[in-house]
Amino acid sequence: MIYLFISLLILIALLGAPLFTVIIAAAMAGFYMAQIDLSVMAIELYRIADTPILLALPLFTFAGYILGESNTSQRLVRLTQAFLGWMPGGLAIVAFVVCALFTAFTGASGVTIVAMGALLYPALKQAGYQDDFSLGLVTTSGSLGLLLPPSLPLILYGIIAQQMGGGVAISIEDLFIAGIFPAILMIFMLSLWSIWVNKKNPIPLIKFSWKNAFTAIREAAWEIPLPVFVFVGIYSGYFAVSEAAAVTAMYVLVVEVFIYREIKLSQLATIIRESMVMVGGILLILGVSLALTNFLIDAEIPMKLFALCQKFVSSRLVFLILLNIFLLILGAMLDIFSAIIIMVPLMLPVALEYGVHPVHLGIIFLANMQIGYFTPPVGMNLFIASYRFNKPIVDIYRATIPFMLVLLLSVLIITYWPSLSLFLIL
Amino acid sequence: MTNKTAFFSRVVGLVQKIEDYILICLLLTMITLAVLQIFLRNFFDSGIIWGDSLVRVLVLWIGLVGAMVASRTDNHISIDILSRYLPARIKRYSSLATHVFTVVVTALMAWFSLNFVRMEMGENLIAFANVPAWVCESIIPIAFAVISLRYALFSIRLFVQLMTKKQATKKP
Repeated sequence: MIYLFISLLILIALLGAPLFTVIIAAAMAGFYMAQIDLSVMAIELYRIADTPILLALPLFTFAGYILGESNTSQRLVRLTQAFLGWMPGGLAIVAFVVCALFTAFTGASGVTIVAMGALLYPALKQAGYQDDFSLGLVTTSGSLGLLLPPSLPLILYGIIAQQMGGGVAISIEDLFIAGIFPAILMIFMLSLWSIWVNKKNPIPLIKFSWKNAFTAIREAAWEIPLPVFVFVGIYSGYFAVSEAAAVTAMYVLVVEVFIYREIKLSQLATIIRESMVMVGGILLILGVSLALTNFLIDAEIPMKLFALCQKFVSSRLVFLILLNIFLLILGAMLDIFSAIIIMVPLMLPVALEYGVHPVHLGIIFLANMQIGYFTPPVGMNLFIASYRFNKPIVDIYRATIPFMLVLLLSVLIITYWPSLSLFLIL
Repeated sequence: MTNKTAFFSRVVGLVQKIEDYILICLLLTMITLAVLQIFLRNFFDSGIIWGDSLVRVLVLWIGLVGAMVASRTDNHISIDILSRYLPARIKRYSSLATHVFTVVVTALMAWFSLNFVRMEMGENLIAFANVPAWVCESIIPIAFAVISLRYALFSIRLFVQLMTKKQATKKP
């Protein structure tokens, strides 16, 4: 009976029912069988209003949407090109750095491919890079900054882990620090790969000129302080994460609407609506998942899961390998926010039993999810790129796979070398 | 008939406008209040006592109103691996099934959260300042009722489409 119900729920989820309804149905069924009054669902949902850190979610999302709609992408490319364009690998490295920074602020919702790709793809081809290489590069870079603060998935992982309780001490600031070196590793490896691939295809470099650099700085003068005060504010402990989000949202709003004047007030209404629709979707799933998670923990499901795992998996190493494979598949099928909200409560207790540090698990989780974005055949970024650049999806597959392999290698390094993530916080 | 549909779409348009404005007001209030609190704390060593509580309730409201708006266009996060590859004919039936499922689940959720709000009304708890807790919580049943209603309309429309299609094919 239970199994029939569960398989029915899975079927209806796969057929495309809103995920939050599937979660509600599961939680309600669980509470009903435990003979708990179903009003508990509303009490659990109301916990959204008792979690101060959640404030960061709508505020950073809003700031990201505004940055995505204004010409920030152009200024950022010009600025980075002025400073990094002279290096071997020039524009390719510029593209990686720019996309990573942009994604960290806008979240990997496809904005990076749409906004940055539109600039970088023609620029790369014009600079002499091959079509496949350029296409693969922009598609891959669409999710590159996920590990860098203040990326939303990173914050969301921290929130979920904190809600779990049970001896898990984890701070979002720690996650922010832990993500930096893995992200740098990814950019470094991708850059090396780009230089190696293009060694027979000499690309003219841009000479560094003070004049260019100066113009680029002056153009982006209002935006350069943004990452600085987010990073410095949070790392120095001057701002809490949600406070940094508030300041960022206000600052971006004032700068883009009133100083650069690139967003009209009428546009602002649409931006607010679209960004808050996304926030609503995430918060709703989060809220109802809090209920389901509570039920699962009461029913000791994670412990049973661990017992089951232990029958087959004895060592941490094997566990990590299986984890990687599972997350890669998951990342291609589920969008990153629901994947975090649904899987972390189940996975974290099991991973802890195998001796994986919760912060490290977060980095592994997101690094895999990042690749899931462009894992054929269903990774979301593949479709966005195909749509945006008007290319058949098969071309995108072929162009992306080399980059994917490079990133897979970096994910393996990140997974089996915990100190890379943890050495600054332990 | 056309008069009625015109009236109906005017009402829908009006409701959507109101939702939009509520969303905008909530977000701008939230940003302003959050920044004001930081400002007061750092420069005057003070702050609005109920400010942080209000901001947290605003997060819930924004989330739920955002979810209401998302259901206008069936724009909720879902897994579409299977449905993407279904043939159009079967897909119509499967989306009718998922829509009806959504109507039932959200209606149940609206009902049970309404119970919760009614219980809270009886207890007369205060959330912050003079605002009773049940007022802050009232958005939960409202949001789920609206979502349920929207999906009910989707289901009816889809059902009617399916029926008329069937008749059209039978007629030769």
